[in-house]
Amino acid sequence: MIKEKYTEKTSQIALNIENSKVESVRRKDITKTAIRVYSENKMGVAGGLGKVDEEELAEKAIKALDFDIHYPVEPTSDLEMNIVYHADFSDSDEFVNEIEELLLEISKEQPDFIFSNKATLTTTENSLNNNLGLNLFHRGTSINVGLIFKRKGSGNIFDGFVGYNGLKYDRKEFLNLTNEICEAFKNNIEEFKPGRYPVVFLQSDSIYLMKLYRDLHGLIFATGGSLLSGKIGQKLFSENFTLYQTRNHADGFYGPFFDLEGVVTPEFRYPLIENGILRSPYTNKKTAKLFNLPHTGAAGGEYDSVPDVAAYPMSLKESDKTLEELLDGRKGIFVLVASGGDFTPDGKFATPVQLPFLFDGKKFIGKLPELNISSNLFDMFGKDFIGVGKNNLTPLGPSRAVIMEMDVSKI
Amino acid sequence: MFKFPEGLYTDVRIEDVFQTSIQITMGKLDDVKEKSYKAAFIRLYDGKRWYYSSTSDVDSIQKEIEALASIACKNENIKEDPIFQRFEVHKSEFLKFTGKDSVKECALNEKMELLKNYSPIIASSEYVKLWRANYIDLHVKKSFHSSKGSNIVFDTQRVGMRISYELSDGDRKFADRFDRGSNYFSQLKGLEEEIKSRFGKSIHFLKEAAEIKPGKYTVVLSPEAAGVFAHESFGHKSESDFMIGDKSMEEEWKIGKKVGSEILSIVDDGSIMGTGYTPFDDEGTKAKETYLIKKGVLSGRLHSAKTAAALGEGLTGNARALNFEFEPIVRMTTTFIKGGDKTFEELISDIKEGIFVETLKHGSGMSTFTLAPSMAYMIRDGKIAEPVKISVVTGNVFETLNEIEGLTKDVKILEFALGGCGKFEQFPLPVGFGGPYVRVKSLNVR
Repeated sequence: MIKEKYTEKTSQIALNIENSKVESVRRKDITKTAIRVYSENKMGVAGGLGKVDEEELAEKAIKALDFDIHYPVEPTSDLEMNIVYHADFSDSDEFVNEIEELLLEISKEQPDFIFSNKATLTTTENSLNNNLGLNLFHRGTSINVGLIFKRKGSGNIFDGFVGYNGLKYDRKEFLNLTNEICEAFKNNIEEFKPGRYPVVFLQSDSIYLMKLYRDLHGLIFATGGSLLSGKIGQKLFSENFTLYQTRNHADGFYGPFFDLEGVVTPEFRYPLIENGILRSPYTNKKTAKLFNLPHTGAAGGEYDSVPDVAAYPMSLKESDKTLEELLDGRKGIFVLVASGGDFTPDGKFATPVQLPFLFDGKKFIGKLPELNISSNLFDMFGKDFIGVGKNNLTPLGPSRAVIMEMDVSKI
Repeated sequence: MFKFPEGLYTDVRIEDVFQTSIQITMGKLDDVKEKSYKAAFIRLYDGKRWYYSSTSDVDSIQKEIEALASIACKNENIKEDPIFQRFEVHKSEFLKFTGKDSVKECALNEKMELLKNYSPIIASSEYVKLWRANYIDLHVKKSFHSSKGSNIVFDTQRVGMRISYELSDGDRKFADRFDRGSNYFSQLKGLEEEIKSRFGKSIHFLKEAAEIKPGKYTVVLSPEAAGVFAHESFGHKSESDFMIGDKSMEEEWKIGKKVGSEILSIVDDGSIMGTGYTPFDDEGTKAKETYLIKKGVLSGRLHSAKTAAALGEGLTGNARALNFEFEPIVRMTTTFIKGGDKTFEELISDIKEGIFVETLKHGSGMSTFTLAPSMAYMIRDGKIAEPVKISVVTGNVFETLNEIEGLTKDVKILEFALGGCGKFEQFPLPVGFGGPYVRVKSLNVR
């Protein structure tokens, strides 16, 4: 019988920030273990938290075969990989001290604002092994500083955010970013004429990709419920538009480099749309096999689940131009906070932008009034797609932005 | 039970969890899980800072307490601290979901059969391209012990099922779902007619929904949409942690200020049964009914002991944690709009051209709130007319609260199987929400 063991360990120091100060320190140390067994095209899984008896789990997993969960795939075999990396902090005390000092400086430089939310130093360790020679190990420590800000006296529960997720840390650069955003926030630009504008999203903002996350889901695609169903090989979008499923650090992803089935893709990416041509929806082994689709290595789920198709982060291929060059002398509307919008079933998109900044490709100029933006899937990534800047917004780490032309009006 | 260190406040929350999840896709079983675990969250407070630890090893709790105490500063006056003084002390067992009412006592087979029996309603339609049925249950027995003397044991239980489906009719696509949550397994039985009714509406929407002409409309919200509106637009603003440290906001949000239409009252209450049922919060405070708005006037807000002490107000039982991995923060429980005096027919009878939002995909609430409808309809000459496709409905929260011009008598509290409320890193927390049908004079529809 083929037996597989998956473990997930999370160790974290989380600082809760309230009123621009560290209010609490939380330590977390959690281990999750699952045993899977494969037999006669079926899978059985059992998992447990903390200390577990692996033999007992294996017995439960064998018993779970009785559920008759059809899983007609070959487990990954003969693959050994080990990736370990660490963020710029040697220990948790150093992290706590640094965040306290950072907050002191931010408070001095931006006294009109209150900052809150979390800073975390997280180590995740994942391993997947089986008796067919699969041995994958990932351990990575990354930093996340996510500050929500509120201007004193504002009636909002929050006004905006400044954040960073990555491996490198530089206080000066984080302060620069915070200052640029806060200064732009204070510069109100009241005058705004509705019309067509280049709209700039942080690449990591998922709102503009919501429809593709849904319609590129392997099962939805394969069964005909997607707007893109049956269109593999067709050129549907702009020549400049290439979309990856990614587990690559360069795209700001700091989880394991393999999926829940132990699949590792070249450069930890898979192109779903390449130069505007639809290549594949995202799939796990089972979906790819059942529907004769390319296999993209997108198996996910909880640690003790039977692997299912899962949406991994998506990234867009950068152009060979900077954001400034892509804007070509025009001013763009940078979407810092857009919450609550959506696509209709046929692909029309609209959302309010609660915090838009005027942006020249290099810096945020000022805060615009709340806006509505609208377009549709095929225009956004088709004729109205301008591109992804080759430069990051901050030297801190991956922070690319994407530009597309949209209809913009005042709320 | 535990040796609590002197000169510090300490509490321990132990969660004894039983949960089940089942997934069927297109008639085939995809996943079945039934598991139990115990884990704990420890809090320690020295009068200046909080120290937390989350552990899946309940044998190590005393060790964790000592480790946290070693980094805190002993405070001889901790008992005079206003937060310490706020904490309620209760001692007893408050177990509601025992015996046949507990999902632990229900056979796994019976749970699988429930999904299998409902599936043919959806599976037989020619328009269904993909369908999935999910069952979940979660019973959590919490033991809460504090250095102030609390020793309580209570439980919560969530049971639910969802059938989601992708529909297609040529180029027309539509995704929808039937979702029902409850506290008891027995309440998930006998839902055939409700599933058929929802599915019938989905097919009608797929085939008939027209493009909306963007603009401003009078909008009637269903109890589901009204509940999400109350939760997102006002409920989150009532969570007092957002006010801490901002004196001008305290002035702006003074109790007694008129904030909405005179017919509008919004309540949060953790003692109401449903998916927001929270008999005690996660720092041992008993559930209370809190009027956030009463007849248009700001009447209260939601608190943890910390925010209550900071603002000089009373506890409300709203310090909630997603699970043992997290600290309690100020969250809603069951939040709803109180009913008015109209029937649904009366509410829409004089609307010449408006929108009825029946079901939602999601909502959000900053100064501009949003509702993303799943199914919505035109109202023409006082009658529900054709279905319409809408990306998003938006409005300014305070303008909208003042533009509520009608409420039906009947109030419905919604309970969903999956999903919940998100705040910071803690998602999805089970909450209840609802209200009557609510008529708003003017909202942006796109």
